Amino acid sequence: MATDKELSDFLEEVERRAFKQALYAVRKQESALDVVQDAMMKLAASYGDRPPAELPLLFQRILQNTIRDYFRREKVRNVWVSLFSSHSRGDDNSEEFDLLDTYVPEESSGAGSSADKIERAQTLALIEAEVQKLPGRQREAFLMRYWQELDIAETAIAMGCSEGSVKTHCSRATHALAHALKAKGISL
Amino acid sequence: MNHTEELEFAYKIRRALDQRSQVLDPAVPARLAAARQSALSHKKESVRAAAPVLASGAHGATSSFRLNRSWLQRLGIAAPILAGLVLFVSLYQYEQQNHINAIADLDAAVLADELPLSAYADHGFNAFLAKRGD
Repeated sequence: MATDKELSDFLEEVERRAFKQALYAVRKQESALDVVQDAMMKLAASYGDRPPAELPLLFQRILQNTIRDYFRREKVRNVWVSLFSSHSRGDDNSEEFDLLDTYVPEESSGAGSSADKIERAQTLALIEAEVQKLPGRQREAFLMRYWQELDIAETAIAMGCSEGSVKTHCSRATHALAHALKAKGISL
Repeated sequence: MNHTEELEFAYKIRRALDQRSQVLDPAVPARLAAARQSALSHKKESVRAAAPVLASGAHGATSSFRLNRSWLQRLGIAAPILAGLVLFVSLYQYEQQNHINAIADLDAAVLADELPLSAYADHGFNAFLAKRGD
């Protein structure tokens, strides 16, 4: 059974990655924060008594389900909004969201900021933008497998698909990223 | 790109994402910390309640009470089911007995009558009886 400290340490360890994962999916900072908070609450309230080793998989499942719930709610909300407002259509530019627009440059540590540092930051932002552009399922599989370090079986459980599908999604995501970054002249 | 190259590339992407996740809007880490604290305060109350009991050394009486309580809980569920079952069987028996009695009365009436049984199977005779009844 996870103690308060173990649960706290676990949440602290995964919260930034979870936020980014949610942000790649929902594309709004406030919504991503709400999703992560919901997922944390559900984990603590329903699975706070589980052993620490089970927490990563449980949290991923909850996070993915919370993201799906968010999209369901958004879909319902959009139906009502479109019913009562004819002006909203065309104003929603979520497809044109660009991470570079919200890019917050690293604080320079005095006068030592160099062109290399800026270039590196821009490269990282481009990589992140390409990850965000991946199709949803490919991105989910890629991030869970390689960023959250779940194994193939755990990723399959969290995504509700077969292990073969996870391998396929991961492979396609990797190839798509490699192709996109190469096209932008970025080599890792 | 073979499997090893894929893995190598994926881990390079991972490093890049890790570095990017350190660059957040200043309000975000504070919101995440608040969310974490809020989540911890909502940790399953039963877990908090059970933890001191398990941690304490003298838990013999408590555990036997919990054992008894679980049996009582099971009995609480089983008793109404059992009562329902008994009621159902009794009703079924009662209805069966009524049905048997009704058939026995009918048989007795038919056997006591002078008419042969084949008369009742004759549609013309039934029509005659109905007309006479009118």
